[in-house]
Order: sequence, then structure tokens, then C-alpha cells
Amino acid sequence: MSKYLTFPDVTFKDRRLLLAALTDIGFAIVEEGKALPLYGYQGDRRPETAEIVLRRQHVGRASNDVGFARTPDGYVPIVSEFDRRTLLNGAFLTRLRTAYSEQVVQEVRRRVHGTAIRRVEGQTIQITVRY
Amino acid sequence: MPEIQFTIDSASGELQLHLKGIAGPACDDVAKLAKELLGQPAAEQTTAEYHLRTQVRPQVQTRRS
Repeated sequence: MSKYLTFPDVTFKDRRLLLAALTDIGFAIVEEGKALPLYGYQGDRRPETAEIVLRRQHVGRASNDVGFARTPDGYVPIVSEFDRRTLLNGAFLTRLRTAYSEQVVQEVRRRVHGTAIRRVEGQTIQITVRY
Repeated sequence: MPEIQFTIDSASGELQLHLKGIAGPACDDVAKLAKELLGQPAAEQTTAEYHLRTQVRPQVQTRRS
């Protein structure tokens, strides 16, 4: 073992992998642009803007828009308190992070031309890439 | 054979990464790729293997005539 790294943040560095992760958890329809406005469930415009937006009609009946604002560190999610509690039974961000992590593993595997072995034990997903 | 072991906690989405069997700076290339996709890690620890350097020993063959 030569190096050990831990990534706990809810920031998504890579746009392409973020879009793939959103598709994996069932949100394939996104709007992309620069400083797009976000709207609440009643159609009210919210103060935040984002570069990637899931419009509320594709999220849920009572949901607000979900956005991802581009920052120097990556894409930061903008999710209302209501949607944090209700979207995917309150697991939206957790499931997105998990899906993004899996996309990262596949990207690393591709780049090193390796093979992957995936194992699931309870809540832990272990993927070994050999090359 | 070099290997990268990824551990994803699906309860939190947290990802941990172990780079195994990659001695020295070659390890940094993979770490750099991971950081490119994941951002800066909250924790980063190098182990003894990281500091190993490849040693090249000259081989001398003697011929008997």
C-alpha cells in the first residue's frame, strides 16, 4: 500500500461524470447553460443560479428546481431543504455521490486500461482495479 | 501487479482510495488522476512503500574461456 486518500465532500469535480451519475439515479433530463435561474415549486424565481439544472417538472410534483453551480472546486449542489428531506426518500445527495464515485472508478479503470472486480458487502461497495 | 482499491460507503457516498503495489512517484500519477476527478482529498497518507525507489544493479558476467 503506498497511498491512502479520502474524499468526503459533496462537490462534483467533473461535469461529464456528474451528468452520467445523474442519469444513473434517474435524472437524465437536465438543462445546461451559464447562470441559469432556479425556480421554486410555485414558479417563484429563487436567488440562486446554476450551470446544470434539473427542472422541477422532471424532479417531482412538489419539488423545486435542483441546481449545480460551477465553482473553481467543481459543481456544488443547490437543493432546497424540502427536497433534501424528500427527494429519493431523503437520499438524493447520498445516492448521487455514490453514483458519481462509481463513475470515477470506471473512468480511472478506463484511463489505466485496467480490469475491475466489484464486491458489495452490506452498505460497502468495494471495487478493485488491476492494471 | 499494481492495484487501486476503491471503497464506497453507500450510506454516506464517501469514497476511499488505496493505491497498492505502486512504489514511488508513479503512485502520484494515479493520485493526480483521482484528484482531477474528485477534487482535493480530506485526508492523504503515504505509506512506507511510497518511499521505495527502484534500484538498478549492474550485472557483471564473467566468461570462462
